[in-house]
Amino acid sequence: MKRYVLSRLAQAVGVLFAAFTVTFAVLYLLPSDPVALQLGAAGIETDKLTDTQLEAAKAQYGLDRPVAEQYLSTLGGFVSGDLGTSIAKQQPVAGLIGDRLGPTISLSLAAGALSLLVGTGLAYLASYVRWRPARLVLSRLPSLGASFPQFFIGLVAIQLFAFQLGWLPATGSRGPESLLLPAVTISVLTSSLLAQVLMRSFDETLSQPYVVTARAKGLSRAAVQWRHGFRNAILPAMTILGLLVGLTVTSAIVVETVFARNGVGKLAQESVLSQDVPVVLAIVTLAAAIFVLVNLVVDLLYPLLDPRIVQLPRKVAVR
Amino acid sequence: MTRFPRLAVALASATLASLALTACGGGSDDAGPAGDPVSGGTLKVAFWPDNAAFPCVDPFQTYWIEHRTVIRNLADSLTDQDPETGEITPWLADSWEVAPDGLSYTFTLKDGVTFSDGTPVDAEAVKANVEGWLATVKATNGSAFGASYVVGLNGAEVVDPLTVKLTFDQPNSSFLQATSTTNLALISPASFQNTPADRCAGDFVASGAFTLESYSPNELLKIVKRDDYAWGSELADNTKAPYLDAVEFSYVAEDSVRTGNLTSGAVDIAWPRNPFTVEDRALIDSAGAAIESRSLPGVSQTFFANVTEGRPLADRAVRDALHQAIDIETYAATIYGDDYPLVEGGFDTTTPYFTSQADKLKYDPEGAEKTLDDAGWKVGDDGYRYKDGQKLTLVNLVPATSPGEELIQDQLKQVGIEVVIDVTPNAERPAKITGGNYDLVANYFTRADPGALQFILDPNLANSKALATNASTPETLAELQRLFAQAIQTTDQEQTEQAYADLQDLLIDEGVTFPIFERVQYAGVSSSVGGFAFTSESFLRLNDVWKQQ
Repeated sequence: MKRYVLSRLAQAVGVLFAAFTVTFAVLYLLPSDPVALQLGAAGIETDKLTDTQLEAAKAQYGLDRPVAEQYLSTLGGFVSGDLGTSIAKQQPVAGLIGDRLGPTISLSLAAGALSLLVGTGLAYLASYVRWRPARLVLSRLPSLGASFPQFFIGLVAIQLFAFQLGWLPATGSRGPESLLLPAVTISVLTSSLLAQVLMRSFDETLSQPYVVTARAKGLSRAAVQWRHGFRNAILPAMTILGLLVGLTVTSAIVVETVFARNGVGKLAQESVLSQDVPVVLAIVTLAAAIFVLVNLVVDLLYPLLDPRIVQLPRKVAVR
Repeated sequence: MTRFPRLAVALASATLASLALTACGGGSDDAGPAGDPVSGGTLKVAFWPDNAAFPCVDPFQTYWIEHRTVIRNLADSLTDQDPETGEITPWLADSWEVAPDGLSYTFTLKDGVTFSDGTPVDAEAVKANVEGWLATVKATNGSAFGASYVVGLNGAEVVDPLTVKLTFDQPNSSFLQATSTTNLALISPASFQNTPADRCAGDFVASGAFTLESYSPNELLKIVKRDDYAWGSELADNTKAPYLDAVEFSYVAEDSVRTGNLTSGAVDIAWPRNPFTVEDRALIDSAGAAIESRSLPGVSQTFFANVTEGRPLADRAVRDALHQAIDIETYAATIYGDDYPLVEGGFDTTTPYFTSQADKLKYDPEGAEKTLDDAGWKVGDDGYRYKDGQKLTLVNLVPATSPGEELIQDQLKQVGIEVVIDVTPNAERPAKITGGNYDLVANYFTRADPGALQFILDPNLANSKALATNASTPETLAELQRLFAQAIQTTDQEQTEQAYADLQDLLIDEGVTFPIFERVQYAGVSSSVGGFAFTSESFLRLNDVWKQQ
């Protein structure tokens, strides 16, 4: 068990490091001069500066050092908790993200909870219902939900619930009522994905011999599905939990823009547009860290749900 | 010092003669609630997204139109400018004199005006502002927007407690207008002890009818009424404390959501950057709200060319053909609606000294084809024109695709010019312009003075030296600089007027600017809001605004 935990931890750190390095490389391989770009983000046009001014400006943002050195110092900063300074906004990146984290976390949590509820509910219902037409409709719903672009769902939801019916505010991040529409918008996609995985998993589990045995023992269908089906079917769904959390973060970029919520997603959008490299790097690394953390938690939960996982090589256990 | 007639008076007569102001007059004077104004309430205004690259509410440094709109109600200026006539009128200064050589401006201040921290607005305070502006120009390497308003200014002397003399290295005829703008609005001397970045975040106090309560960039900006305010500009009906208790400005990215917020009553005023679409106007109208509009003074929405050797637009004939081939009438009607005003030159019609170039901007596709044929650009098999094996292709640098860009692409295709729409994020734009890999790039500049164009076209002053250098041939640039100098380095109004008229001819005749559309500031105003008014720079003036309770 100790070895299992350690190997999961090492893997998590490795993924995080790789995410940071790839992002750094991509940002530096942009098809234009990173110095001009970053000075441009600071409102300085290089052609207006004399050579001495240009050197001074480069030195101010640490752009005069070799890329390898910049990489190492940035990495060192990240490890010690210093995320650097935004070039466009001239503020510490940690503070910028900290200010915007609240609305995004509450949005992510709300969307996550909603997806769990709707996703599992839908899958559970779809495998319980026996009337074929209803079963067909229920099992096709997730594909439909996963196909709509989020900005479209968001705009339609605003038109309907904010402008036509006037039930909920269209924009802003004040109060729980402003959270509902954006959370629903995100969870249409994430709950659909969850439901798709769960439905397949239910189908497989319920065709296992032990389910037949349980039925033969005289248990009701509901009891079998709850006690034998659900607990086993939930395992594969947990695997994609990390993916779903990651999705709620990336969805925040679109959804926060549509609903004018001031979160990390909108910060990401602004920073990409102004090519504010330190902020983009920090947000991508943060998103990767959340993704890695959720996966780590899921990995550590597996053995509790299925003791076979610690003994067997992972590939076999989780297909 | 001999007394010189007030520049204001001269300016007024000059502008009255030369202007046909308020081209696109207010939507509806009779809109809004009936009855007398009542006090109280919080007005909610929805802007488009805040400036991500430079979220700054310091009057001197910011250039963003929405920031300046807010500042107009936070900070007062020495003078004001009449939106109807362009005349410069008293505000914090009761009167002023301009020396005959144009090298000094002496302002006599109103008595009893205070900043919101209680310190007086006196000659010392004005001197501190002048010194603060010059220090900010230095600290920002000249990139502070206000730098363009104080060209030639070198200092200030206190004559007596309420009289201050501003001195210049060289005359700057647009300075008096500059004193009426938000960029030269006064803030307290103590505020200049804060760093430029702190002032940007809102760390300053001023003497305006409202004070800044909070500024959270791209989320919410809140201003509250100043109860003891009593020195409003005479251009407003209410020169005392404003009617509204507070005003909240929020930032909404989606145009349709912003308009929906107005029609559903979530906000009182929708303030877009790009003109309302035809559909949005219909929606606002059907919701019973009023649509107010006024052209933004300054440089119109205009293409600037890259005329460097080797690029197609180095050929004068191609530039001439471009003017003939762009159908600005169809553009305005298709993109913004049948009643949208036509652009008439390098400046919007509300700019002082404006002279119409409409005759030269008439759509003439046959003329364009003939011009190109005569210049040796022959139509090839693919319908596009070629000369010496070079295809007539223009690269249009845009931040995002829009129906307007595609319309122009299509219009130019009709005469055999290929347009490549190169979508370039704003952050990459400077590098591309410096590299010279473009033919057309659109730009504008809002200021109620034609001198604004220098800051696009004169390489010594421009924000983008490359764009300025590429935009005209060396000969045309020399002529432009000569005309700007003639217009600005003088106190002779007739000379200024003549030079600006010649300049506006030159812009079109030599193919320096290619106007696309008149920039109109729209506002959707709820039927429960009264007293709506635009300033001379088409910003929102809140002194008279009230909300039905």
